[in-house]
Amino acid sequence: MYDTPTTERGVISNDVKFTAKGVQVYYGDTHAIKDVDVEIADKTVTAFIGPSGCGKSTFLRCLNRMNDTIDICRVEGDIHLDGEDIYDKRVDPVQLRAKVGMVFQKPNPFPKSIYDNVAYGPRIHGLARNKAELDEIVEKSLRRGAIWDEVKDRLDAPGTGLSGGQQQRLCIARAVATEPEVLLMDEPCSALDPIATSQIEELMDELRANYSLVIVTHSMQQAARVSQKTAFFHLGNLVEFDDTSQIFTNPKDERTESYITGRIG
Amino acid sequence: MTDMPMETSPVKASLTASDARTKKRNAAETRFKAYGIAAILVGITFLVVLAVAIIRSGIPAFTHTVVDVEFTVNQEQFDDAEGQLFKTKAYSQLFIARLQEQLDEKGLEVAFDEKAIERLMGKVGADIREFYRETPDALGSPQRFELSASSRVDGYFNGRVTRDTLVDSRFLQVSDLDLVDALYEAGIIKSAFNWNFITGADSGVDNPGGAGIGASVIGSFFMMLVVLFLSLPIGVAASIYLEEFAPKNRFTDLIEVNISNLAAEQSIVYGILGLAVFIQFMHLPQSAPLVGGLVLTLMTLPTIIISTRASLRAVPPSIRDAALGGGAAKMQAVLHHVLPLAMPGILTGTIIGLAQALGETAPLLLIGMVGFVARGYPDGIVAGFTDPNSAMPAQIYTWASRADAAFYDKAWGGIIILLVFLLSMNILAIILRRKFERRW
Repeated sequence: MYDTPTTERGVISNDVKFTAKGVQVYYGDTHAIKDVDVEIADKTVTAFIGPSGCGKSTFLRCLNRMNDTIDICRVEGDIHLDGEDIYDKRVDPVQLRAKVGMVFQKPNPFPKSIYDNVAYGPRIHGLARNKAELDEIVEKSLRRGAIWDEVKDRLDAPGTGLSGGQQQRLCIARAVATEPEVLLMDEPCSALDPIATSQIEELMDELRANYSLVIVTHSMQQAARVSQKTAFFHLGNLVEFDDTSQIFTNPKDERTESYITGRIG
Repeated sequence: MTDMPMETSPVKASLTASDARTKKRNAAETRFKAYGIAAILVGITFLVVLAVAIIRSGIPAFTHTVVDVEFTVNQEQFDDAEGQLFKTKAYSQLFIARLQEQLDEKGLEVAFDEKAIERLMGKVGADIREFYRETPDALGSPQRFELSASSRVDGYFNGRVTRDTLVDSRFLQVSDLDLVDALYEAGIIKSAFNWNFITGADSGVDNPGGAGIGASVIGSFFMMLVVLFLSLPIGVAASIYLEEFAPKNRFTDLIEVNISNLAAEQSIVYGILGLAVFIQFMHLPQSAPLVGGLVLTLMTLPTIIISTRASLRAVPPSIRDAALGGGAAKMQAVLHHVLPLAMPGILTGTIIGLAQALGETAPLLLIGMVGFVARGYPDGIVAGFTDPNSAMPAQIYTWASRADAAFYDKAWGGIIILLVFLLSMNILAIILRRKFERRW
């Protein structure tokens, strides 16, 4: 983070964070993403919706190159973050992932203490010079994850001992601890009950002030509640991408309308 | 629905009365459970029979009969004996005189001569002479001697040698048994724990009483050191590369198939490979625990690689995703998160591989680590690796194949020692697994 060149910082004033053009993704012979163009704005929640297997998660995982870990996966086209091609040969995916954090569908805290869960990222990226600074980062991150009050007295307790909703907020705290610019969330609430879900949704709204958020969700209500922009994926195509209010009240494409009214999906 | 006529619906079966199908199904289930219980009972029976057989046959190896006599040699007798031509004979006569005296005290009359004593206890005089030459201070005061009786006397006490089956020979005569009975009654001959069996080295083919397993335990120990320090790092490194980093292609598939095949390879194949490569080609010392360890490393590697890969695979992918998604490099994700979680499985696999290697006999025989090589302890750490030695299973094999029936007891006793080591290693594996097991 700290070694980011100043020229790059200059571009941040631009409202657009990610620009994707002509993105194609193949899993072996399967064409999973077909020619997707999308622009993701800063300080905005962008929701990807669509039926199962439509490619929304796949596309999300292209944004921080998590697809690199799948051998048979091949990505074509251009994806730019702040004007830089993230699939450029010189880009180190590890640095990219420090900038573009990710929260997964199933809460996956490390089987370590709550403190170590949050401190892991800052430690490996050398964000803290001493214990006091690290403590500060951990506290700040846990506060941003809206879980500080619940765990401040038991930072040494294992992260896996928390409830599902708390675990997911811990994972969000862990993701923001490395000071990313974008936060990708892959169905972050699908394993949670309604109360935990509403807590996470409130949290997303707060996080929007500092980050660009991209969430994949199966719940159209959730997309309508938390996002400002919505992209509807169907069979690997980006069918429609517009303001959330526009998509849900006045969809332009017939397929979008069918999906949001429950006729397909 | 309520106004539907009752007679159109079939007669409702009562829940308490079971129909023919249910009865048949329940009977089949009961039979199935009975088969399972029967199988387990058969297994347990075999285990119990085996354990009882091993313990019953092995216990005699841990005891030996000793002749316990207390007597005094004074300075004059010592000088007199040292002045004679046959010095040990003089001590033997002193011993026999004392023995006779003790038998007379108890009122037991039995005739015996020097030859009979020699048959029962070997050269007694030599042992006594050696003791006084080494500790002259003991002269003049009463000393207690515990001299071991010959293995045939052991055999007489544990039922292997009987009066009916005994054929007079230079080793033992029927008349000697009268003396043994008398000495037993007088409390002079008795059973004692045989420390020499645990601490000693192998003896010659005609001295089963002096055979011990200690030297081969040391041989096995040095071999296991070689196996542990070679197979664990190589095996774990290979597994991590294959499981986490290697691309999945035909070449890695080929490696995978080969590893599985090697794990099932007969150990004797590794033995002849070791003989050809390590001894004939590389000229490493024959019969050395180092070579034995190298051969067993080759044999253990596939086991360790397979179990390590299985434990790496058992770590949920979400942990890798969490680490990678947080900006950790692949190596960091593996070393910081995956490996610690896989550790209990890796350790268990390694210990089980080692236990398997500890009990391996065939390859050791091929590289010359046969039992009779273990005639003494190595002089130091380096010699421990390079000096000719045997290993526990090879020693047991050698004893079992010797003509003298007394070695048969030793073989069973050796198996008890080997099983104690194997059981301790397996218990250690369980403890380590319990200790490091973590949930996610």
